[in-house]
Amino acid sequence: MNTEAASRSVAAMPIQGMEQKGITIAVAGNPNSGKSTLINAIAGTRLHVGNWPGVTVEKKEAALEYAGKRIRLIDLPGTYSLSPYTQEEIIARDYLVRERPDVIINVVDATNLERNLYLTIQIMELGIPVVIALNIYDEAEKKGFRIDAGAMERMLGVTVVRTVATRKTGVSDLLKSAISLAEEMPSRAPRQLNYGEDIDSVAIILAHHLQKDHPAVAAAYPLRWLVFKLMEGDSHVLDETGLDESGLLHETLRHLREAHEEDIESLMADARYAQASGLTREVMKRPDVRKMELTERIDRLALNRFLGIPIFLVAMWLMFKLTFDLSKPYSDWIGEMMAGPFKRWTEALIGFIHAPAWTASLATDGIIAGVGNVLVFVPVIFAMMFFITFLEGSGYMARAAFVMDRAMHSIGLHGKSFIPMLLGFGCNVPAIYATRTLENPRDKALTALLIPLMSCGARLPVYVVFIGAFFPAHAGTVLWSLYVMGIALAIMMGVFFKRTLFRGEAPMFIMELPPYRMPSFRSLMIHTWEKGKHFLIKAGTYILAVSVLVWFLLNLPWGVENKKDSYLGRVGQVVAPVLGPLGFGKWEASSSLIAGLVAKEIVVGTMGEIYVTKEEDRKKEAPAFADDLKEAGSSFVREARESLGNVFSTFGITSISSEESAEETAERTPLRGVLRSQFSPLAAYAFLTFVLLYMPCVIASVAMVQELGTWKWYGIAFAYQMVLAWSVAFLIHGGGKLLGLGG
Amino acid sequence: MDLAKMKPGESGTITNIGAVGPLKRRLMDMGILVGEKVKVEKVAPLGDPIEVAIKNYRLSLRKKEAQGIQVEVVK
Repeated sequence: MNTEAASRSVAAMPIQGMEQKGITIAVAGNPNSGKSTLINAIAGTRLHVGNWPGVTVEKKEAALEYAGKRIRLIDLPGTYSLSPYTQEEIIARDYLVRERPDVIINVVDATNLERNLYLTIQIMELGIPVVIALNIYDEAEKKGFRIDAGAMERMLGVTVVRTVATRKTGVSDLLKSAISLAEEMPSRAPRQLNYGEDIDSVAIILAHHLQKDHPAVAAAYPLRWLVFKLMEGDSHVLDETGLDESGLLHETLRHLREAHEEDIESLMADARYAQASGLTREVMKRPDVRKMELTERIDRLALNRFLGIPIFLVAMWLMFKLTFDLSKPYSDWIGEMMAGPFKRWTEALIGFIHAPAWTASLATDGIIAGVGNVLVFVPVIFAMMFFITFLEGSGYMARAAFVMDRAMHSIGLHGKSFIPMLLGFGCNVPAIYATRTLENPRDKALTALLIPLMSCGARLPVYVVFIGAFFPAHAGTVLWSLYVMGIALAIMMGVFFKRTLFRGEAPMFIMELPPYRMPSFRSLMIHTWEKGKHFLIKAGTYILAVSVLVWFLLNLPWGVENKKDSYLGRVGQVVAPVLGPLGFGKWEASSSLIAGLVAKEIVVGTMGEIYVTKEEDRKKEAPAFADDLKEAGSSFVREARESLGNVFSTFGITSISSEESAEETAERTPLRGVLRSQFSPLAAYAFLTFVLLYMPCVIASVAMVQELGTWKWYGIAFAYQMVLAWSVAFLIHGGGKLLGLGG
Repeated sequence: MDLAKMKPGESGTITNIGAVGPLKRRLMDMGILVGEKVKVEKVAPLGDPIEVAIKNYRLSLRKKEAQGIQVEVVK
């Protein structure tokens, strides 16, 4: 190892007005090192979750004050290395190189020291002061590992603090150390480790040449880091600096290349790992006898040849059930409140101030209904986020991917794609948000593209009404045929996209199977809350805007008597001929489909409004304000109880009749009668396939744009689904007619 | 022997990594290095991917990615 003096030379960086700016701390570490939990323990609800610019990788940051110091905390994506090949790694290193935080907190999993130190060593190359959080220290002790933190500090030239993030142990020590290290003058850069004579001698020559011939470039980067990147042939850095491999670089590296068969990148990785294992041997003592660990015992079952898949399916069944059954009563309650008391109060208020009738309609049917549309999703998004975070934090997510990868990979997806796809059967919106468990942008985009083919709960009411009208004798078969059709088409489209849009090498699968751990409840709640809030603010605005827009479409020109003359009806008339070959080329059908873009179940409601002449709203006695409040409270209790009851009840689409309350059946009987006169059974089935396949509802669309960070994928989803819906419905209707199934 | 062809329970020392480019770097970043001890722990229920123990932790990778990693199997 080099002398202290050498390491100081790199650190001669000016410290920019720390007093005014406060201290910037970047937090880096391996995935599964407990980094998120640690961040939550430090920042709690002050965390702000967003995205790194231009990508969909999550960025967490927090501004806080500690011991009178202003601190800005930046969470870097979890990475194993700082190579130039994955989005996460590029983000992390670009941030460290360009923004030069005052200090880096490197979270290290004490139970897996060697592999974690490999990242530490790369971070040290940057010359920024480092505090190591030796995390999950309790588990390491339980395993009998003894780590000499003092020796680590001496050998690496960093500060080491033992932490147990789940219990908040050592967190304030960690912050104190980070602050005092940041304020140290001159700043204390980590030691420069010895990478072997071969590498080090070339590095010195190269550094010298760079400073002489390219002083601007040399000054813009941490010099030692830059030298290593150039030696590795890091394309990212080569592009950025405009240096190329000919000339100087080529000359200096020639001998090294010749001696090591051209592969300096591997040589460097070897050198870093040699340091990591050397260090681990020096500072850590572990018992000779290894116990059979809990993780191994669980995996004997969870990854078992025969039991692995059944266990996985049961786990998924539980998760699906908990996500949707637990949240549904709350969503129902919110929906009822918005449509009931809230609407009445607003109407009363508007009546009171004598505003024109259309404002009342806009306020209640447009804005309040729109807000309701957003709010009903909150419980399900929260529930989904909670369980996904639990699956990831506990370590089972990686197993789920391991078990399912073969099947999913055959249609171009990743093992982890299964869970978002499954959630799609409940609701496409949380399903699309769940694709965030996929790290690779390609896997993520393809999964999100296929999710809308999973028949969600909102399509069920449409099926129920039509099946009740046309196929009461074969209800089950017809219903399942739609679900199966969705899955079959998803497989076909998956293979199709794999060969066209996503041609080329599939992303790598190489993935750690982390030890099973119990995620901390606090961390789970913070994460869930942050995600829910994010959805409310970001998606909420869009959804509200679209709801208001649809209100205008439906109700303008104001006072329109016949729905046919509303803007929606007019658009419907224009679109109708396109649907002619499918057997339902009527404006009523096309208008309902357009209205269904808000949410597919609205198709039924709109058809009801259009087809069935509305008997004048049976004006109910409007309940008094106090009654409303009382009802709101008691219905909440009722729904909460139902939510709990759901957890223990059976699952699945038990039967068509149970999906409809008696009230709904009575309401829909006249509609069914009209439908039978308007559609042939064949056209009805074609219509159902169209409802299954045509474009995602606006809320799912917003989710897709937001989660994938671009309109591009949404555009593709829209286009392929429209084409698919039309073609399949056409084949069914046309084919059926040819077969003499009647038209 | 090729790592992709090893059976659960077999272990040995890595002698060569055939991969190139990003795949090679990724494998090395995860601790798959020449001279390292590796043990095949499990094969997924559907036959792919595989789970290996390396550097005191568990890693899963597809057989296609494991192809070309040469291992001298220790009995």
